[in-house]
Amino acid sequence: MDLFDQVQHVIATTLKVTPDKISRETSDKDLASWDSIAHVNLMMGLEQTFDVLLEVEEFAQLTSVPAILEYLTGQGKA
Amino acid sequence: MSKRKLEVDELLELGTRDALRQALRRTASPILPQIQRLTDHAAGLAPAMRELRLGVVRSYTSELLDPWLGLAGALEGLDVQTYHAPYGLNFAEADAKSGLVAHRPEITLMLLTREDLHPDLARPVVGLVADEQAKLASQARDRLLAIVTAFRAENIGHLVITILPGQTGPALGVYDPQSERSEAAWWAALKADIGQHLRTGVEASLLLDLDEVLAQIGREAFFDSRLWYSARFPFAPAAAREVSRRVVGLGAALKFPKAKAIVLDADNTLWGGIIGEDGIDGIELGHEYPGNAYMAFQRRLLDFQQRGFILALCSKNNPADVDQVLNEHPHQILKPEHFAAICVNWEPKTDNLAALAEELNLGLDSFIFVDDSDYECALVRRELPEVEVVQTPARPVEVPYCLDQVARLELLSLTLEDQKKTEMYAQERIRRQLRQNAERNGGLEAYLASLEMVMTVGIDDPAPLKRLAQLTQKTNQFNLTTRRYDEPHMRRLIDASNWMVSYFSLKDVFGESGIVGLALFDLPEPAVAELDTFLMSCRVIGRKAESAFINVLLKRLAASGVREVLADYLPTPKNGLVTSFLPDHGFAIDADGRFRRDLVANPPLPDAAYPMAIEISAKSPAELV
Repeated sequence: MDLFDQVQHVIATTLKVTPDKISRETSDKDLASWDSIAHVNLMMGLEQTFDVLLEVEEFAQLTSVPAILEYLTGQGKA
Repeated sequence: MSKRKLEVDELLELGTRDALRQALRRTASPILPQIQRLTDHAAGLAPAMRELRLGVVRSYTSELLDPWLGLAGALEGLDVQTYHAPYGLNFAEADAKSGLVAHRPEITLMLLTREDLHPDLARPVVGLVADEQAKLASQARDRLLAIVTAFRAENIGHLVITILPGQTGPALGVYDPQSERSEAAWWAALKADIGQHLRTGVEASLLLDLDEVLAQIGREAFFDSRLWYSARFPFAPAAAREVSRRVVGLGAALKFPKAKAIVLDADNTLWGGIIGEDGIDGIELGHEYPGNAYMAFQRRLLDFQQRGFILALCSKNNPADVDQVLNEHPHQILKPEHFAAICVNWEPKTDNLAALAEELNLGLDSFIFVDDSDYECALVRRELPEVEVVQTPARPVEVPYCLDQVARLELLSLTLEDQKKTEMYAQERIRRQLRQNAERNGGLEAYLASLEMVMTVGIDDPAPLKRLAQLTQKTNQFNLTTRRYDEPHMRRLIDASNWMVSYFSLKDVFGESGIVGLALFDLPEPAVAELDTFLMSCRVIGRKAESAFINVLLKRLAASGVREVLADYLPTPKNGLVTSFLPDHGFAIDADGRFRRDLVANPPLPDAAYPMAIEISAKSPAELV
């Protein structure tokens, strides 16, 4: 599974949508269920799946698939 | 105990909720993406899920608990439907037209912080002198009670009140316990004060102590400071999981049939090894591993007795072998007098459980069955699905704790009767033996007289409110109409001038029975009384207590001008015992199916007609809570 597939799976499970609704361009504005509460759940899910430690400042930045992919690649998870 | 990493695929192979719960206790908290898979799996196991309606009133974020509530629910067989009240401690929700009331919750969880109790709690309590500290404590308590009372007035189920613990240790650090103004001591005293006020003044309420959760999982594992400062959600996964487990557990205790008896296997449950093969010197029970773990389990069972659960023994063995351990083994903590019933033979355990149910006058749905054997556990699950089965862990070090998270073994209230249950059952066993002797030697009359019974009757007395409500909920067999009343409703009947609420307790040469009978009369017009409820605990059947009780109440009604008493018998699958009670006590059935007794044509008997002294008490007996 490449990095996008893994991220897509975490987002789909957390937001309870089908994976086909999540593309490499999807952001929080594209999905009604990606609200502030779901976003916190997503940050926790990413942390636990990829074994990274997110700072509070990073929560506000990781609001789209491109931003998440860039962050995880920078952490050497690709 | 350190936790293993959670392997979801292994857990998804487990086929019972008991096995899943026990396996999850040994592992680190699941991560969010795993929770849904585990929840779905648990939800699909037998028996089918039931709904639990939960309301949440909160001054911090609570929606993030939802996945954990769902998992905890599925592990208990409950589909949790949660309503989160609008954010902020909102008295508008304590209103008949609120969303909270419309949700019809069975439990309302209140998530409060220390600052909600008093704004001054944002500053160090140790900065105050002694009388300022005392004043702060009473104001904090009064503020909490005002919040609780406002919500209690609405129909929102059982109130579960929590106060978030401090995120840091005490202001004075390690010196706190020795300080005259110790913060920990101040909080402990305030909690005890709150507990006392809830117990005596707020019906259907429970203080769920989050300090206990903190103690269980540790402060560092409890709080997630990033989530707190960014989203005002305090809980790390371990805390979210444990708080959810406890809240949902209370739902299980409220919704499922009340547990009353823990039925225990002997070999590899109360001791290590098999008495029939290893002999009394070969079984593991003592101060060395693994015998010390089994001793610890026996000791823990005494705690469950204190909660009012009775213990029974059900073992496939030669009776003499088990008797030898119970009476002679130097490290055996549970002796014969700790067991309400002992059933040792080679018959199938399913037959023995049915026999125990009959002997103890309890339903199988009130049994928790504990056995190490895969075979016995699977057999009972298949043949007697109403019995809850807990399999004793294979690892001795886990055995002492194996009942600690059984939801139906938690209590929402405790009366003195509950704590003395086993004693009462043990007394009853002796009475049964004596009765058998007496019946051979001079008949029932002589036996009953030898008991020197005294019946104490209480009338419109609110003191034993919890016990009276509990009796209507738990009594199924000797019950004419099986009407269930919760504490608020029972209280209204006691206070109402047109209802007579009476109860009785029995004392004899062996001891006190506690309150074991209840009768509710509705008095709609001056000369008429209607018997709404007449019930009695099966413990005291066979002594004419029910006859004496109804007679003394009819005497009282007649003396106050009642001429006609109406009553009903509403048959259920469980109350066949009382089919002839009304006809046996002077009531005749009419064309409309209701029973009537004319107190003028058919007056009550004098007290002397019954084999006991009868006292009507102005106050409730002293030991009742």
